[in-house]
Amino acid sequence: MGTIVTIDVYRGDCSDDSPLEASLEAAIAILHDADVLFSTWKPESPISRIRRGELDVDEAPAIIREVLEQCGVARSLSGGWFDPWALPSGVDPTGLVKGWAAQRALAALRHDAIDGAIVNAAGDIASFGGPTADKKFRVGIINPANPRSLACIIESPGAVATSGSYERGQHLFDPRQGIFTASVASGTVVGPELGLADALATALVVGGTEVLDILERLDDFEGLVIESGGKLLTTTGFPIVS
Amino acid sequence: MKRAPLVMMGTVAGLAGVLSFNSTPAKLTLGSLASSSSGTSSAPSTTTTASSSPPPTTATSTVTTPPRTAPTTTTTSAPPVTTTTVSSSVRTAIGPSVDYNFGILSVQVKVTGSKITNVSIASINDGGNYRSVSIDQQAIPLLEQEVMQAQSGNIQSISGASYTSAGFIQSLQSALSKLGL
Repeated sequence: MGTIVTIDVYRGDCSDDSPLEASLEAAIAILHDADVLFSTWKPESPISRIRRGELDVDEAPAIIREVLEQCGVARSLSGGWFDPWALPSGVDPTGLVKGWAAQRALAALRHDAIDGAIVNAAGDIASFGGPTADKKFRVGIINPANPRSLACIIESPGAVATSGSYERGQHLFDPRQGIFTASVASGTVVGPELGLADALATALVVGGTEVLDILERLDDFEGLVIESGGKLLTTTGFPIVS
Repeated sequence: MKRAPLVMMGTVAGLAGVLSFNSTPAKLTLGSLASSSSGTSSAPSTTTTASSSPPPTTATSTVTTPPRTAPTTTTTSAPPVTTTTVSSSVRTAIGPSVDYNFGILSVQVKVTGSKITNVSIASINDGGNYRSVSIDQQAIPLLEQEVMQAQSGNIQSISGASYTSAGFIQSLQSALSKLGL
């Protein structure tokens, strides 16, 4: 996936490291596996073979079918603004798979000795619990106009995904117009699951306020748009704390 | 960005291991985990794992990179986390030059007591390549910020468009080790 993943584990009991190490190893193995299966950069990965027409989706590993099904869910939730099948280079679940893999890795960290854990996949965050048993994690959202500063701080409901055009340039595909574009500087989606949040954040930065309206009608997800002029627009339930 | 007096997160402890995201199974090395002297806060242990492959060269990616040296597994011992440290003089260390995705960099860290007071780039050579420069200009401030913010205890993570720099963390760890943290 070509990204850095950081894993933070918070625990009340500091007596023994070994269960923690096993959990971390399992989480990291999940990320490796996802890279092997879903790297569009590696020509022999199953997803690359599907894209070249060498492998039928029905014969692909079950996990790939699961991700593509989730892509279908995301396409439907986003009103078509996220559409991995519309790309000119063939089906590409990259916009969802990073978050999906981080969410799976997080599941491996559930352990009695762990109060909370964060898996941050290059700025997309899956978490459970909090820094202490009675607190939720707070996440800073980067200000796209100045990445040294934060635009706001939010309380994580479990998944926080941000897409933007400010690091990699215009790399987002607009399935409606068939061109690469971004209508706003950045889009953040929070919700219960990071794969869908990741895909919806991609849709949000492409579709801007139109997708914000779509998110407003969804129960589980909330959105934030930062316009290129610096203005913040959110759905009513977006969990800004400062 | 005020910190609750008794709750202090050890970012230094947080940077416990840089793991290769290579095809070989990553060996996990955890630094010893710091516990807060307050007894009420838990210290985060952070494992960083980085892909050794360039970003996907799909039509959606504008980034192509040369193969890079996979980060080696490193360990740093956790700092003593204390809330009663009487401020001592500022100490500075520069980590080794590390080969990362887009060039070679080293990180400078300033520490007062066991608290990081500044993180910055001591040297960087990204070859002047447009893409490298543009990525560095975005990624490095994010990493500097993540270290400072995580230490503040006010927030635990940062969400933003993707950044890449295992080298930054690797050099930072070594710099901290030099200071005995």
